[in-house]
Amino acid sequence: MAELIIHIITPVAIFIFIACFTLFAVYAERKIAGFVQDRLGPMETGKYGLTQTIADILKLLQKEFITPSKADSILFAAAPIVIFVAVFIGFSVVPWAPDFVPAHLHTGIFFLMAVVSIDAIGILMAGWGSNNKYSLLGAIRAIAQMVSYEIPVGLSLIAAVMITQTLNLNDIAYLQGVKSPEQIYFMGFWNVTDIGGIFAWHVFQAPHLLVVYIIFFIASLAECNRAPFDIPEAESELIGGFHTEYGGIRFAFLFLAEYAMMFLVAILGTVIFLGAWNTPLPNIGVLRFADWTTGLGWGLFWTVSKSLFIVGIQMWIRWTLPRFRADQLMTLCWKILIPLSFLCLAISGLWRIMVMI
Amino acid sequence: MEIFIFYLFSFLAITASLLAVSIKNTARALFLLFVVLFSMAGLYLFALADFIAITQILVYVGGVLILLLFAFMLSNKELLEDLQDTSKHFISLPNWQAVLLALAFLSVLIVSFTMWSRAVPDWIDEAQSKGNIILPTDNNIKALGFKFMTQYILPFEVISVFLMMTLIGAAHLSRKESTP
Repeated sequence: MAELIIHIITPVAIFIFIACFTLFAVYAERKIAGFVQDRLGPMETGKYGLTQTIADILKLLQKEFITPSKADSILFAAAPIVIFVAVFIGFSVVPWAPDFVPAHLHTGIFFLMAVVSIDAIGILMAGWGSNNKYSLLGAIRAIAQMVSYEIPVGLSLIAAVMITQTLNLNDIAYLQGVKSPEQIYFMGFWNVTDIGGIFAWHVFQAPHLLVVYIIFFIASLAECNRAPFDIPEAESELIGGFHTEYGGIRFAFLFLAEYAMMFLVAILGTVIFLGAWNTPLPNIGVLRFADWTTGLGWGLFWTVSKSLFIVGIQMWIRWTLPRFRADQLMTLCWKILIPLSFLCLAISGLWRIMVMI
Repeated sequence: MEIFIFYLFSFLAITASLLAVSIKNTARALFLLFVVLFSMAGLYLFALADFIAITQILVYVGGVLILLLFAFMLSNKELLEDLQDTSKHFISLPNWQAVLLALAFLSVLIVSFTMWSRAVPDWIDEAQSKGNIILPTDNNIKALGFKFMTQYILPFEVISVFLMMTLIGAAHLSRKESTP
């Protein structure tokens, strides 16, 4: 019985976290946009506009359900649920602190990639169900982009997994700090198993993993349809993409899914490349910073703060770089990112055979 | 709890597949196929085949089904109307292949049902007494990798060559004809 209660509490807690994250991420996004464009951002509602997004969500919740009369009502209603649930299940295998993980799966990353690909079905459902040309075209654009960019994401994850030799996200997290069961080498030559800190992170364990992380970051930006890859839903130039016909709480769910996806790719990149819940502070002689700042509470703090930092970079990029055209987007994916990630894959194999053993 | 989830998945798989073949709306039928594949993946989990379950979702739901939907959405509308126009007769001439297939499958089911017995086969008893069993918490994926790279390396490589052939074929088909 106690186990069942845990099984219920965990998803509810994650859902509440995602909801709160979305509220404040939207606020942060608008404030960052204001900062980048040299204006103030939301200022009217509450002190510094702090309650602006809460007011927005209350407005969205009150709106009536509008289903276009020619729409496929079942698909139209099911699509936001499928999209959100697909992203939400992804959180089930991500570790937040040492052994503090909702589901201890041996196939962690693989499961996550599979589940997140269901997202695409939901988008097609929304596009087709709306019975609107612009929605359908938007959905097809979004799927073409997501399916293409799933390849560099997958390849960069494989390149990292070849180094870690495990798909279990919890084990991957352990391999990057002072609690590591194996010896860790900084760039393959300096044993940092006792020192830990930032030197033990996967991005610094092999020189090419830094490139792999950059590939992963770019491709994951495209995967969650963020600028500069937001052609699927460019509101100002094209019609709003697959969610043109949505309003009220259904739109709120699509929005929630988008921000949840942002956080999911940020936390995934953190867990696999940026040391997961491990501290960035190394042990220096008698000052055991790494030992002092590793644990349940610290782990949560490091995971969340690193992920939020990555989300912050995503927002910064969104308001700094202009959009890619659709053909430039495909060129970047198929002609630059995929060959590069194949190269990194080969280097990973060689590195594992020749350097790590 | 497990029993309940098992029957939920089986119920979903059976009803969704029945609906998928009987529904008039082809788009909805394709989305029902998604439900079928997903609940089949759930059923694989009960056979402790987590790798196959995830691969099913990744390949069929994330790849094949999206391809099917794209083909459906980009194809000619008159062709689709022809497909959606199901004839009223129960057994009509165009369906004789399906009837044949269904009869063959039914005979397989009947034969296997008559041969089925409740007794546990000897080899299962033998494996259990030797402790040669898989637990839900075991790391199956590692064993799978070892098997692929040692015992089943020939089929594995043959499949990879086959996939390579299809990839080259797809690239060749989609290339523009070079005018000499």
